[in-house]
Amino acid sequence: MTKSMKNSNNFIESRRSFLKGSAYSLAGATLATGVFQTIADTPAHATHQFTSTPKSLSFYPPLKSWDSFTQLDGNDWKRGGTGRNGIKSEKNPDGIEATEYMLVPTACSNCEASCGLTAWVDLSTYKAGGGLAVRKYMGNPLHAGSRGRNCAKGYASQSQMYDPDRIPFPLMRASGSKRGEGKWVRTTWDEAMSTIGKKMHDTLKSGDEISRKSIMYHVGRPNENGFGHRVPHSMGCDGYDSHTNICSAGAREGTIQWANDDRNSPDWSNAKLIFLQSSHAADAGHYFQQAAGRIAEARKKGAKLVVMDPRLSNSAGMADLWVPCWPGTETALYLYLANRILNEKDSNGNDLVNHAFVKNWVNWDRLMADKKYLALLVEKGYIKSVPREDSYEAFIEMIAQMYSPYTLEFVAQECRIEKRIVEKLYDLFIDAGASVATYIWRAGSIGHKGGWMIARSAFLPFVLRGAMAGDKGGIGLHHWHVISVNGKGNAATEHGTKPPKVDVWNEIAWPPEYPLSTYEMSHIMPHLLLDDEWRAKWNAKGLNVPKKLAVWIPRMYNPVWINPDGFRWIEALKREDKIELSFNLSPTWSETNWYCDFILPVGLAGERHDQHSEATQPSRWLSFRNPALRVALEKMGWTPKDPTRATLEAHIKAGLGEVWEEVEFWANIMVHHVDPDGSLGVRKHWASKEDPRRAVTIAEWYQAAFDTLPNLKKEAKKCYPDAKYPNYEMMRDRGTWLEEDNIYKPQERPLHKEGSRYIAHGHHYEADEVEQDAFGTLLVDDPVHGGKKAIGIEIDGEIMEGFHTLSKKLEFYSEWFAQWKWPEYAIPIYPTTPEGRKQMTHIVTQVHHDFMQKDNEFALNTVFRLPYNIHTRSVNSKHLMEISQNHNPVWINTQDAKRLGIKRGEAIKVTITDTVSGLDSGYFIAMAVPTEGTMPGVLACSHHAGRWKLKNAVEIPGFEQKLGVMGLGAPLYEMTMDGKVGTLKPTQGLNEGMQERRESWQFKAFNKDLDNIWWDGLSGSWQNAVAPSHPDPIAGNHAWHQKVVIEKAQKGDKIGDIYVNYENNMKVYKAWRDQLTRPLDTTDRLRRPVHMKRPAVPLSAKAYAVKLTK
Amino acid sequence: MKQMKQEIQNRVTLYALISRLMLVEVDELFLEQLESDEVLLSFLPNYRDWDKRKTVKRETLMTAYYNVDFTNLFLMHLVPYESFYTREDQMIESGGENPVIALYNDLDFRVELDRARVVSADHIGVELEFMYMLCLAMQKALEAEDREGVCELLAVQHAFLKEHLLQWAPMFLINAKRESRTPLYHDGAELTLDFLLSDYEYLTDTLAQHCSAVA
Repeated sequence: MTKSMKNSNNFIESRRSFLKGSAYSLAGATLATGVFQTIADTPAHATHQFTSTPKSLSFYPPLKSWDSFTQLDGNDWKRGGTGRNGIKSEKNPDGIEATEYMLVPTACSNCEASCGLTAWVDLSTYKAGGGLAVRKYMGNPLHAGSRGRNCAKGYASQSQMYDPDRIPFPLMRASGSKRGEGKWVRTTWDEAMSTIGKKMHDTLKSGDEISRKSIMYHVGRPNENGFGHRVPHSMGCDGYDSHTNICSAGAREGTIQWANDDRNSPDWSNAKLIFLQSSHAADAGHYFQQAAGRIAEARKKGAKLVVMDPRLSNSAGMADLWVPCWPGTETALYLYLANRILNEKDSNGNDLVNHAFVKNWVNWDRLMADKKYLALLVEKGYIKSVPREDSYEAFIEMIAQMYSPYTLEFVAQECRIEKRIVEKLYDLFIDAGASVATYIWRAGSIGHKGGWMIARSAFLPFVLRGAMAGDKGGIGLHHWHVISVNGKGNAATEHGTKPPKVDVWNEIAWPPEYPLSTYEMSHIMPHLLLDDEWRAKWNAKGLNVPKKLAVWIPRMYNPVWINPDGFRWIEALKREDKIELSFNLSPTWSETNWYCDFILPVGLAGERHDQHSEATQPSRWLSFRNPALRVALEKMGWTPKDPTRATLEAHIKAGLGEVWEEVEFWANIMVHHVDPDGSLGVRKHWASKEDPRRAVTIAEWYQAAFDTLPNLKKEAKKCYPDAKYPNYEMMRDRGTWLEEDNIYKPQERPLHKEGSRYIAHGHHYEADEVEQDAFGTLLVDDPVHGGKKAIGIEIDGEIMEGFHTLSKKLEFYSEWFAQWKWPEYAIPIYPTTPEGRKQMTHIVTQVHHDFMQKDNEFALNTVFRLPYNIHTRSVNSKHLMEISQNHNPVWINTQDAKRLGIKRGEAIKVTITDTVSGLDSGYFIAMAVPTEGTMPGVLACSHHAGRWKLKNAVEIPGFEQKLGVMGLGAPLYEMTMDGKVGTLKPTQGLNEGMQERRESWQFKAFNKDLDNIWWDGLSGSWQNAVAPSHPDPIAGNHAWHQKVVIEKAQKGDKIGDIYVNYENNMKVYKAWRDQLTRPLDTTDRLRRPVHMKRPAVPLSAKAYAVKLTK
Repeated sequence: MKQMKQEIQNRVTLYALISRLMLVEVDELFLEQLESDEVLLSFLPNYRDWDKRKTVKRETLMTAYYNVDFTNLFLMHLVPYESFYTREDQMIESGGENPVIALYNDLDFRVELDRARVVSADHIGVELEFMYMLCLAMQKALEAEDREGVCELLAVQHAFLKEHLLQWAPMFLINAKRESRTPLYHDGAELTLDFLLSDYEYLTDTLAQHCSAVA
């Protein structure tokens, strides 16, 4: 008996007699639930290798059994396992089915996190004469990042693989039809490569500047590290567009200014405070599943969680503190924290600033030495006078004064947060010391004009507290924790080294208005292509802007749907004079495919090769994606006819369809079609060193690529001593690798020195070539761009590697940014008055509450993901589609809804209106749900829903069955567009659409449950089309959030309807461009600061050079 | 033996009643049966005297009161599983490592988890129903006048209470009584605890009295 029982005297005293006295009238049998089988009548079992249940839930087949592991059928577990029924055999037909699997490691390819997976390939069915298929995907327990865990999207890889509407072979727009008519014919990979390759060859053949700007590889979520970059690079083209400017370019701008790094990289597990800006990291997005697991670990150890988000996300709902901040005003809150850190003391009377870190690792010295800039700060009213001294103490005193206006009163008013919440946030922040982890990425920084300043300011309080030192429990930087070798198979090619730098600058991706944009201006690609006036203006100034693209190649990308101003995209894609040829390397149907010339089906998670790594923790791990069916076939002895096309051949043999992968595709098309005779200088970068007559193979490529990782190479050699390609084979068998663990404070590593030579980034510098400037920075000549570049820094007498910046320190003062025309924003700053907000409009959100004057005017928060969807590629996964149904209404605060008389489930008309130009863009009709989960004045509706299609299925000549189009994810719509106005109206839900073409369902054995579709998919609207492009004048990203006006829907309006004045949208884009940017001018000699990395394609000094005429 | 036959009948009924109460939501039939037996009803005094039982429709009582309470006590708020209370890490062990399941297996009992709608066979309702099954078996042994079998079953029941139910159920039941929001589950928790303690004493005495020679 327990102690607590002994103390519960009342129970003892109240003891009653249950057994004495009269019998109960009830029989026990009428009452009992009856969950026990009576004494089991168990048949005798043959001896077998199974336990009736694994000994623990963490059981996983050991690596040595992965090539053959026999498992009991999942459906039979309920019957009690083999313990009761034995193994199924001829003699024991009622026994439990056992299946032999090969576990092929791979990695999820849905979101960016790259969690490890194993594909369970069914060998039993195959050996019995059936097809070869993946029965399920599970987590890969060897994966250092995901540790065997996955979210719903990972497990859904199987339903994506056997999608009933999977594109089974390459499709080509029917001859004589126009783009968008939906007339398709089957083609082969060879025919497609021949046509496309010839067009690319003919384009490059001229060799002029324009030819190098006329092929554009437009990549959606890459989920690999560097291979895609190599495609245009190897052709000498400045022709890479990423999706980053609708994704994360704002946050990157702020991080680049501090650290010249792409993003930060937190150590969640060891933090005392997890500070999330938006639902990103713990709900969905970068790097959801892995981050959430590590955040949970930290919380288990006592860490607190703060979520700053206008919306009560899942993370906010379980946080210690939810900070609903008016979207776009987050900067004010961060500067408030800075103010208190600088101007207050802790309970012992000590400074809150971590002086040891700030004094050594922040470039305060350069700011204090720049008297001209300090005078500008005085002129702008940021500080009262130029400090008399240059000392660190004078710097601290100066910024303490500068940030003092960011008071509790101000921030409560500006951010519309209750004061008690602000104060609580501050207390939590201070209590955690330097152990505060954050990931500044989404929502604020991509939602707003000046969103980048949110990221820039966000890091300030973290810097002041020492949390940015990259130490345990704090915040590190991306490039410390990531591995990028997917494009580094050069040694396997005939050429043997990387292609030379590219000599041209492509204005379609990098227009002169946006020299500091962190990534390509891809979201305005159609606007630029269609804007003759703009092109003429810049050509007149001496540029050579292309008027068209010869070949446009989206890769797993759906810009028509996911980018703003979708009708403008359709207009551009339809124009064969502007985009002469287009093809999408796409695993699924998409809205964009509809307007392309070719759809070339490429593989999903378990159907392709990629090296993929992400900075999810203070270590460097990588995933290796494998095509599971190919690997299984090869391990069973199958050999392809052509080893350079093994993945395609394997998929055809296994019955998956003519599904290929990019690595093999690009190597083949380059060698055999783009440059068959090598005259363009492209072929040698893709032909095999072993046999230059053919393309490089996967094993050759990855053997070379992984050879650049010393620890991986060593282990592979040890484990596969007799293998020809040990690196490849080890990664094929394991699917993941941890190259380096526990990476903390690498900036403090001594700069490598051998004898008299310093070694930095693989280059050797004699000590007498190295000079040291007045601030301790070690400088060498820059052989590419001229001038000097930094390789190290002296701190307290030690020469260290330092940060990645020009000063080798974190840059509170961004000197180069000031020189590049934006001096007033070269330090973290934010206006504190209405007048100031007008003057500093570049860093004030377009949805500021200043603009909300009427009762029905709102800020629309669009930038949050549904945790179980991923933009484009999850569209037809039945599992993900089912659980996401009806999950994306317009959230409206209950008080706002009450005031406007809006009830739950009612349709509302949401009209988008621009606060820069004053123009309306049109409206979408959506369902309203009043909730306390969004702050007053702010609506929320994720822009990741509202898929559409114009045909339920397409007929392919020569094929009996139609090919279904996105049957599980997109309802049928009717579209109109006339060059100025576009509309979309839903005409059929997807359940009805699927049932009327049952004969078209592919992979029937995997899709028996399609009769159970209950959802019609009609709950979303294509709001992205209504949204105009809002290019941020500095970071270049689309500022997603919108000012909207709402009213109840009228008779005839249906949820899903949209009406878009896309003529106005073009004007909105131009207003943002012309009123807000500071373009290149005649004084500029460079297109962009050379230290600010141009992602993807490396460029020569010639490409960077510019000289404009008036 | 004769007295034991009378007692076993009541033990069977009581274990059936409390296991049923703890395992699934009540239904019309169960409430009807319970209320038809004055003696049983007397063990649930607050429930018996509760006004709402007489003034509110039974269907409403079930949907708005009893089922809400059940959900709170057995599904959401409290954790009615032995392994939660007895394991250091407070994890529910649903696999073969669970000693309760091993015991069931050793005695050739199988829990149909899908029928029970519980995640593990060491749920309080299942353990109570296991006692009910042992009592039924003992009843058969008594009818067959199998003295050795009776003693063996008494020993098994005694050991199961001592090593399992009484190791944790009191803590759960005290919590359940405190957390309950209806007289039905309040009294049910109290009844169950009282009965388990009383039954343990009964088994100890009976074993000493009748089975020392057999042992």
